[in-house]
Amino acid sequence: MIRTALSHMKTESLVAGILLVVLLLLPLGASSWLLSDLSIYFSYALFAASLAFVWGHCGLLCLGQAVFFGLGAYAMSLVTLGMVPGVEGMVSTWLGFAAAIAVPALAAQLLGRFLFHAQGLQGAFFGIVTLAVAFIVERLFINWDFVGGLNGLMNVPPIVLGLNGDGYELWEAVPLYYAALFVLVLGFSVLAALMRSRWGLALKAVASHEMRTKSLGYDTAHYKTTAFSIGAAIAGLAGALFVVQFGFVSPSLIGFGLSAEVLIWVALGGRGMLVAACAGAILVRVLESNLSSVFGDTWLLLLGGLFIVSVMFLPRGLVGEAIHGLDRWRAKRRKGGSTPRGKAVERLSPSEYTAR
Amino acid sequence: MDKPVLELDGISAGYGTGLVLQDLSLTVDRGEVLGIMGRNGVGKSTLLKTLMGLLKVRSGRLTFSGHDLTNAPSYRVAAAGVGYVPQGREVFPDFTIRQNLIMGNLKARNDDIDAAMDLFPVLRERARATGGSLSGGQQQQLAIARALIGRPALLVLDEPSEGIQPSIVREIGTTLKQVSAEKGMTIMLVEQNMDMITQCCDRVVFLEGGRIATSVPAAQLLESPALLNKYMAF
Amino acid sequence: MSSVATIVLDASNYALILLLIALGLAIIFGLMNVINLAHGEFLMLGAYTVLSIQMAGGPFWLGLIAAPLAVGLFGLVIEEVVIRRVYHRVLDTILATWGLSLLLKQSIVLVFGPGSHSIEDPISASVMIFGAPYPAYRLFIMAISLLVVTATFLFFFKTRIGLAARGVIANRNMAACLGINTRNLDRMTFSLGAALAGLAGAVIAPLISLDPHLGLGYLVPAFLAILVGGLGSIMAPVVGAAGVGVTENLAATFLSPVYAQLIVFITAVLVIRLAPGGLLGKKRRQT
Ligand SMILES: Nc1ncnc2c1ncn2[C@@H]1O[C@H](COP(=O)(O)OP(=O)(O)O)[C@@H](O)[C@H]1O
Ligand SMILES: [Mg+2]
Repeated sequence: MIRTALSHMKTESLVAGILLVVLLLLPLGASSWLLSDLSIYFSYALFAASLAFVWGHCGLLCLGQAVFFGLGAYAMSLVTLGMVPGVEGMVSTWLGFAAAIAVPALAAQLLGRFLFHAQGLQGAFFGIVTLAVAFIVERLFINWDFVGGLNGLMNVPPIVLGLNGDGYELWEAVPLYYAALFVLVLGFSVLAALMRSRWGLALKAVASHEMRTKSLGYDTAHYKTTAFSIGAAIAGLAGALFVVQFGFVSPSLIGFGLSAEVLIWVALGGRGMLVAACAGAILVRVLESNLSSVFGDTWLLLLGGLFIVSVMFLPRGLVGEAIHGLDRWRAKRRKGGSTPRGKAVERLSPSEYTAR
Repeated sequence: MDKPVLELDGISAGYGTGLVLQDLSLTVDRGEVLGIMGRNGVGKSTLLKTLMGLLKVRSGRLTFSGHDLTNAPSYRVAAAGVGYVPQGREVFPDFTIRQNLIMGNLKARNDDIDAAMDLFPVLRERARATGGSLSGGQQQQLAIARALIGRPALLVLDEPSEGIQPSIVREIGTTLKQVSAEKGMTIMLVEQNMDMITQCCDRVVFLEGGRIATSVPAAQLLESPALLNKYMAF
Repeated sequence: MSSVATIVLDASNYALILLLIALGLAIIFGLMNVINLAHGEFLMLGAYTVLSIQMAGGPFWLGLIAAPLAVGLFGLVIEEVVIRRVYHRVLDTILATWGLSLLLKQSIVLVFGPGSHSIEDPISASVMIFGAPYPAYRLFIMAISLLVVTATFLFFFKTRIGLAARGVIANRNMAACLGINTRNLDRMTFSLGAALAGLAGAVIAPLISLDPHLGLGYLVPAFLAILVGGLGSIMAPVVGAAGVGVTENLAATFLSPVYAQLIVFITAVLVIRLAPGGLLGKKRRQT
């Protein structure tokens, strides 16, 4: 029973499931040092998933996705540090999360209204404008004293389970690890469910045949704006998850540099599948923390080179390519086992086939 | 007997994943004026675009004057001696007539341009007008002159009579006959206009189901309405 | 009165530099449909070429000549190795050139270190204009930018190769079917665009502090300039660069550089919203 169920599961879901089980069991054997690294990487993984959704699924190449990650991180910090004008007393983590989701979503909504409506910007130009946004927002935050300027905000509190900054504080490695994993799985599931829904299918159609879907009466600008906002909301959530662990937010989280990194994670992992993008983010970070001391400055050179090569030759990404390979292997095995005749028919060339 | 100037051997081509031409074979002899007919959407333009290297050849071979031009870039096809007059003319709307002609041959000298304008006197009258300001018929004449200024061995035209007043269609037909007779130029003419076909062509082929269905001498066409019914009626 | 003259001169100065950069971007995009995100780094390479020659003890003027040549040659190589393989996939050209920009930045960090460098002023004299002293070198920048931009336009509008290039911009497929060698034109265009950026980097080098990340600060306004001016026209950068350059420079003078960038960005987005094709935009043929 379980075997047949497993053999009919999509390879992507299967891989995601196996990874989840491994991650759930990991605290049994891993050092708390590794666990706290990983729980930070979970926020990067969620961030990568948000870009994979926006770029891979919706075809919106966003070169400034860190703007939303950063906005989320700043929103969370301002709330929990009691810096929001008028409501200084409200320092709830939960309110922080809400703000970290709402603020980036609104920003994306506003931007989308301008960029997608009327004739809107076609793919490539959207990318450039988002690059410009990242560049300008970073400069803006560097020069904005209220949010700490170049130094940013320090001593951001961890997750506090009580309603308004009281109650249990989440800072021990294992609970934090599970909390971060929970947020990752939650955000991931929301995106995955959206992508499989009717709305997600329409979105995919908008991404691949904009003109045709438009002529069928779809308001493509509306679809794209909404998708862009959802991606931004998830990126903001990831930013909040990051800052409650890291305790410190600065303009380097909101600008060009991090936008570049997340793009590399997603491209190397695979833009076409959420799980590949997440795995890409975690893999690159793990490799980086182990290898960058060996490679020094050449590490970034290596990563950039790998990125170009993958753009040119491996558009599915490294992890995506692996999952795809596994998928083909499973399909072949399934077919080989159950329908040998199907195989025989397949071998015929089209001309032979019509000749019969 | 001369070798054919153009040989298409088992060509398949199309857009995206679909194939429009399937295993199409066709040879065109030197000096011949070949008409290509078929219903709308049967793939006539696709055939010419494939010849010009604008569409990828999925299988088969394309040989012109002894050169293998299968999947050669368009500029090499043109350089090998194929002049192309596309459907819709595609003159450069912001360029003057003179500039449009130069685009047909960057090395054109003044007498080359004069010679091209001699073919269609209206081009000389309006030499400084831009391509976009011309009428459809004038644009068509410009597009033909532009193709001819490169002295092609093979001229291919895609529905030159489309949307053009009859007097100009006749003028174009006369000019095509004239170049074919004087220069021995080979011509492939995709047309729906029967007058033009019978005025110019030696032989006509019909396209159907992605390949050449029939080939008949043009003279025979008028006597066999059954053929037209079979391949042209809807 | 005198300060007005200075402000106007400074603004034109910046607009002209921006024009050099935007022109390269626009011809590369117009001809090849490639959006070159490494353009800022080409500019950076031009500036660092001048730096290397200064470090080797050579004169600034040698660097000024070497920079466009070196960067142009580099562009030729990049076209052959990378661009040619992805140019029919527009989004991938963005990604590839963007990856290239990261590579170039990091290579410069490796060779010259992450810190900043400066170039000695090649002309320290000042000229009196409306009673106020104005640095002669800035006047030189304006002269050379005007000269090069004029030469580029003459090339495109007065020569037959330039005509062919404009033909490719208007209708690439038709131009190729008429025998225009699009392959060679692509090489030439990318290399020329890179050389223009390299030259821009060289001329501004004495005015700025060189660091590996300086490219983005020029790439962004240059892009906004061509978006505002309109795509698919090589005259558009003139309008765009003038608009963006003057607005940004004036806002920076009277407010602050950050607000200037913000104002320019918001204005640009508004213009794009109201006139999606840009101010001089034309419909390009979809191929
Ligand atoms: N750019 C295109 N993309 C996809 N399909 C096309 C395109 N152009 C033509 N087709 C399809 O290819 C077929 C042949 O078209 P075409 O060669 O233009 O026909 P003809 O010139 O004989 O009227 C038609 O079914 C048409 O719908
Ligand atoms: Mg047709």
